Amino acid sequence: MLSDRIKYRLFFLALLSVATVFMASFSPSFTTVSYSKSVLTSVPNSIIFFQSNTYMPEFNLHADSVVIPLKRAGRLFLIEANVDNETGNLVFDTGANGLVLNSTYFRNHVKSGETTSSGITGSVGTVEQITISKIVIADLTYTKLRADVANLGHIENRRGVKILGLIGFSMLRNFEIVIDAKNSVLKLFRIDKTGKKLKSSLPEFNADHIQKIEGNTNILFLKGKISGKILNFCFDTGAETNAICSDCNRSIMNTLTITRRSGLSGAGKASSEVLFGRMNDFAIGNKQIPDMETIITNLDALSEAYGTHIDGMLGYSFLEQGIICINFTRKQFGIRFTKREEK
Amino acid sequence: MKTIARCTLLLIGLFYTLTSLAQYDPDKVCRIENGELIFSLNLKWTEKEKKEVSKLFDLDSILMVEAYKGTPEIVSGGEIWKVKKMKTSLVELSKPIQSKPAQSKDGKILKNDDVYLVIDQWSNFTGKAKESSVVFGVNNFALSYVFTYRSDNAMFYLPAYKTANKVYIAGTFNGWSTTQTPMKAVKDGWMIDLDLKPGKYAYKFIIDGKWTTDPNNKLRERDGDGEYNSIVYCCNHRFELKGHKDASKVVVTGNFYAWNPRGIAMNKTADGWALPIYLRDGTYVYKFLVDNEWMHDSANKNTRKDADGYLNSFIEIGEPYLFKLKDFTTADKVVLTGSFNGWSQVELVMDKTEKGWQLPYVLAPGNYEYKFIVDGLWITDFENPFSVGSGNTKNSFIALKANHLFTLDKFPEAKHVIVTGSFNGWSTQGYRMTQQDGKWIFPLYLKPGKYTYKFIVDGTWILDPSNKLYEQNEYRTYNSVLWIDPF
Repeated sequence: MLSDRIKYRLFFLALLSVATVFMASFSPSFTTVSYSKSVLTSVPNSIIFFQSNTYMPEFNLHADSVVIPLKRAGRLFLIEANVDNETGNLVFDTGANGLVLNSTYFRNHVKSGETTSSGITGSVGTVEQITISKIVIADLTYTKLRADVANLGHIENRRGVKILGLIGFSMLRNFEIVIDAKNSVLKLFRIDKTGKKLKSSLPEFNADHIQKIEGNTNILFLKGKISGKILNFCFDTGAETNAICSDCNRSIMNTLTITRRSGLSGAGKASSEVLFGRMNDFAIGNKQIPDMETIITNLDALSEAYGTHIDGMLGYSFLEQGIICINFTRKQFGIRFTKREEK
Repeated sequence: MKTIARCTLLLIGLFYTLTSLAQYDPDKVCRIENGELIFSLNLKWTEKEKKEVSKLFDLDSILMVEAYKGTPEIVSGGEIWKVKKMKTSLVELSKPIQSKPAQSKDGKILKNDDVYLVIDQWSNFTGKAKESSVVFGVNNFALSYVFTYRSDNAMFYLPAYKTANKVYIAGTFNGWSTTQTPMKAVKDGWMIDLDLKPGKYAYKFIIDGKWTTDPNNKLRERDGDGEYNSIVYCCNHRFELKGHKDASKVVVTGNFYAWNPRGIAMNKTADGWALPIYLRDGTYVYKFLVDNEWMHDSANKNTRKDADGYLNSFIEIGEPYLFKLKDFTTADKVVLTGSFNGWSQVELVMDKTEKGWQLPYVLAPGNYEYKFIVDGLWITDFENPFSVGSGNTKNSFIALKANHLFTLDKFPEAKHVIVTGSFNGWSTQGYRMTQQDGKWIFPLYLKPGKYTYKFIVDGTWILDPSNKLYEQNEYRTYNSVLWIDPF
């Protein structure tokens, strides 16, 4: 029910090489970082990236950090990129595993393999894989990486922008990732094996709430609370609204306000019932976030696809709440909430 | 005693009023309980409130009426609804929540995009950048030298951020590209020259990755995400009024501003008053207001009398297209009519020439259908090979400033070749292609953006064989994909 694109998300659930867990506390103060040419090194650093049994993208970045402007198309965040000489946009979609490219532009690439995909319907199909020689995103260059190919034309048609593909966390795991939705910026900081920023003079992210990242997947699951119950949410920057399961327990359902519904019949209607409303009692850590827009839907198929039970998804309306910092090496998710008056 | 009686009456009255006023709160209408979707409907709602609930929750009006009647079970929209009478004028309408994920008939393609389409509709949001159809606009820069526009060349200057590493400009002119238009580092800041057509543009600077509005541009518009974009007009006209140097206020107004007497303020110059302005292609009638006194532009020889016999100045923006009809020299009257003027049968009377009829007419770039009306008889332009429709509904077609030529280099023996797509709502009457030098062609003016299309060759739908871009459609066949760049 959520989005087509989920259908194409691939789930390599037992992929990760052993990641050493280094817990380091976040110390206060966080400033905007810009790098100057003086810190450029003459020899680019080539680092073997996130290792899985099939997926080994390498990247080149001359500086210690990169600031990537995000473009918006409705409630989607886009990253402009050049993929094998094709220029367009990648949807920043942390609900997607790995890189998914649009078949319109990449169907003629040589197939490097096939993989099974499971989607929100629970159906299983095969998805073609191709090898990409080069992706350039701002000052960041990836070489030789694998991508899945899927039809993403519907996103283009809905949003009127050229969509080369979807990019999730898998390509960004070796950075400390700062998502500032309000200012439409994605900042990536190079980190060492312990998860510490390479440029030690850079201040640590100052978070209001820190949560330990569970598991080793490229999909980030967060614990949130509704009506005193702890729920499992998928952090999905590609979800244009939050979502909450329609079969959750009664005390949870009672905290929701349903404001709209679209039925099944009639021309131009959705092919399924859509319920839309607000989460009134959501909390993450000790922070209550009232009035977040959400759709209310059955998430069984999505749970099945992700291989773990999911009670909800945190998407656009969650991203609007503040600045988010993710460090997979330290296994830390942090958020600094935007104060009301700043909104 | 009287007082007590009065108080009692008042209390009873108050109680009656409170209970009879059905409390209407749309947020409390719908809830989910144990897999059931339940709607609490109040019989005392006003008709307007009932209609709103019906709209918000997509409840069929017949379903609502039946529920109010208390019919215990109602079949509507292929679903079984249960009705439960509650006390105090409430009924509860319920059905199991639809729990299956969306699936198309063949069970393969999800139609989940629908979900977002529905939500977009609700929040009145299209998500696509809207084509600016602004009629006129005037710039408002704090510093005069940070933006200049001459002969289709726009110069943006950002006299700040000297220490920045990279500055880009992104806007509607480059599809908001964050990488394609770097600015040049110059003394005290950053600069760029861009070839831009007259029009309205929204833009921002990207300074070391960060989106920033132009600090010296006072003209801003909300971007729909709670932020602002800077707005600039590439002007194509300059209103000028010589003299009147002692006037305290001079404004210009006209049909482009619905004759608003507040007008648009003109600036004092060395020899009078002036205002650079952007005007969309078309014909404009205007006047100056010098200290609230109306006057026409005496320097402009093009004047027309208004209904009251007063002179108005007028200007034409854009190149006129010369509509021509050969022969028919014995006709009394020939009228040009088309999609550009709502098919008016009186407005555009053509001028008689030695060989026929003609009329110069200014039109904005676009696709138009038209016909001639020769003494009441509607005919197509037989000198124009391009047409739309067939039989009585056949119209001549013209693409002004066409920026794409659809070409099919195959099927020379075909009888009818049509190009159809998202640009014309996939009309099968479509645009009839014409054979030229063995190729089928059709020119179109297309706004920047994505289009999907197909050719119909003697009734058979085919992809454009010369276009390698195509995508799957809902019929599990394919559509050709075309992007028109903003430049």
